[in-house]
Amino acid sequence: MVFGLRGGPVVAALIVVLAAVVALAAPARALERNFAGSAQLDYHFVPTTKDAKVFPRAIDGFTMEFAGKLAVDFSEKVSANTKVCYGCHGFEADMMYFDFRVADELNFRVGRFSPTFGAFNLRHDPANHRLSDKPLPYDMGRMLRLRQWNMSVLPSPFPDNGIEIDGAKYFGDSVQLDYAVYGVTGFKADSRPLDLDFKLSRNPLTYYVDNNARPTVGGRAALTVRLGDASDATLGASGMFGTYDPENKQTYLIYGADLSMRFDKTNIRVEYLARRTTFDTTDRTLFKYVVAEDRGDFFMKHGAYAEIEQALTPELDLIGRVDGMYRVGNIEAASELARRSSVLRYTIGTAYAIERGLRVKFSTELWDFSDREIVSGRNIDLGMHAALAGSF
Amino acid sequence: MSPPASSRFSGAARWTASALVAAAVGVVACSGARTEGLDARKVPENVRSDYEVFAHRCSKCHSLARPLTAGITDDQQWVMYVNRMRRQPGSGISYEDQERILRFFRWYAAELRLKEAAKRGAAAPSAAPERVPDAGADAAPPAPASAPPSDAGSRTTGGDG
Repeated sequence: MVFGLRGGPVVAALIVVLAAVVALAAPARALERNFAGSAQLDYHFVPTTKDAKVFPRAIDGFTMEFAGKLAVDFSEKVSANTKVCYGCHGFEADMMYFDFRVADELNFRVGRFSPTFGAFNLRHDPANHRLSDKPLPYDMGRMLRLRQWNMSVLPSPFPDNGIEIDGAKYFGDSVQLDYAVYGVTGFKADSRPLDLDFKLSRNPLTYYVDNNARPTVGGRAALTVRLGDASDATLGASGMFGTYDPENKQTYLIYGADLSMRFDKTNIRVEYLARRTTFDTTDRTLFKYVVAEDRGDFFMKHGAYAEIEQALTPELDLIGRVDGMYRVGNIEAASELARRSSVLRYTIGTAYAIERGLRVKFSTELWDFSDREIVSGRNIDLGMHAALAGSF
Repeated sequence: MSPPASSRFSGAARWTASALVAAAVGVVACSGARTEGLDARKVPENVRSDYEVFAHRCSKCHSLARPLTAGITDDQQWVMYVNRMRRQPGSGISYEDQERILRFFRWYAAELRLKEAAKRGAAAPSAAPERVPDAGADAAPPAPASAPPSDAGSRTTGGDG
């Protein structure tokens, strides 16, 4: 989140921009506007982590996410989207882009947006998900031991500035092929980095510009096939590559595959992604292990999840998820992780519609880390979520 | 070996957990639980299957409450809206689905217009494509089948489709 909007003046400016868009949209009859939003208040309770409130361990307490989105159709070919979020980082601009659609098969997106990667991000915001927490490969602040792991494979959302070309091609009524290719600013870090710096990537103090004048490029292709009147399946593959240090010496490659299936009221989603990140080995004393001469300058972080959502009644959904991450490679000397570290999480939860547009969500997570916590010696943790999520 | 998790629960933690569970039970007990969509039995027969297509396709990515509470009463705006949704990656919404979803929304928009007109104390707008009972889309009793709306949601008229 490079925009990282904070502070009164910036928020005020944002509101002015939003108001201007609304005002500009008002006079012309051809313009169609739609305002939508969502909010989620989640309480994350971690009873097994003694010092849960010590920031490196976990965020134990309330987190609030709010998003307001304005979509304006200027014509049948041109539209604009603006989405402002309020969350743990304060106010952020999640979307500010124009779409110019030549045809279904060819659309140009220019501005600030989350580049198309994976299946999870297609559902955008927390109100669309039945669990409070994101799948581990995409998790950000709610992940336990987030600092030790430097968060997930691809912390989501990851809005960025750039251009995307995308489209959809239909083959009859049963097959839909989607594609997207993009060039965006990309993630950042300082010189001689050991990993991506997600804070720096969204920090306004370094300006909202590329730190190395070289874009990150990527894309996604997905095939959706209708299997029956009430069932379909989507198979997708994504990739992203770029440099992240100012000298363009260190690279990251993220790739993944996803399969989403729907059988009447049952949703099954499986996704895998991995990140190969090179790091600077000039100062070998920084590392926990001897730096290998051959292939000793990168680490791999794998992540995957499988989840099932079952509607038991029109109001009640039952959700089960298994997700995890596996990191292999050298690491900072002070880290609690080892050369090979893993985490598995088992989640069961429910979502209950108490009113149209309003759900309560409950979930319990069992965490199983390969590394014991230094202070407690514990490698099993328990987390519980209670949330109220609404959309309009 | 670490002590079992339960032995580490502080008094405050127990209170917090209890409060969360109590709040959850309270919220659920006090609410008149409602599905996020409409009661299909109360949707007029001639658009009921169209509603089912909408409910199934659109709930793949988001809550049905989002479009149902969008307050859109303009048929052309629905065309653009549904077009935009159809083009979402992996939407699974075909052109035929789009036509049927739009047929449902034309009925739904007419319902909203009637309700708005009733609120203003004015006569119902003549643009309504079919007469349906008042009292809210999901509270309306089944309406007699009427002629299906015109094909305004076809591919050729469907926004930039």
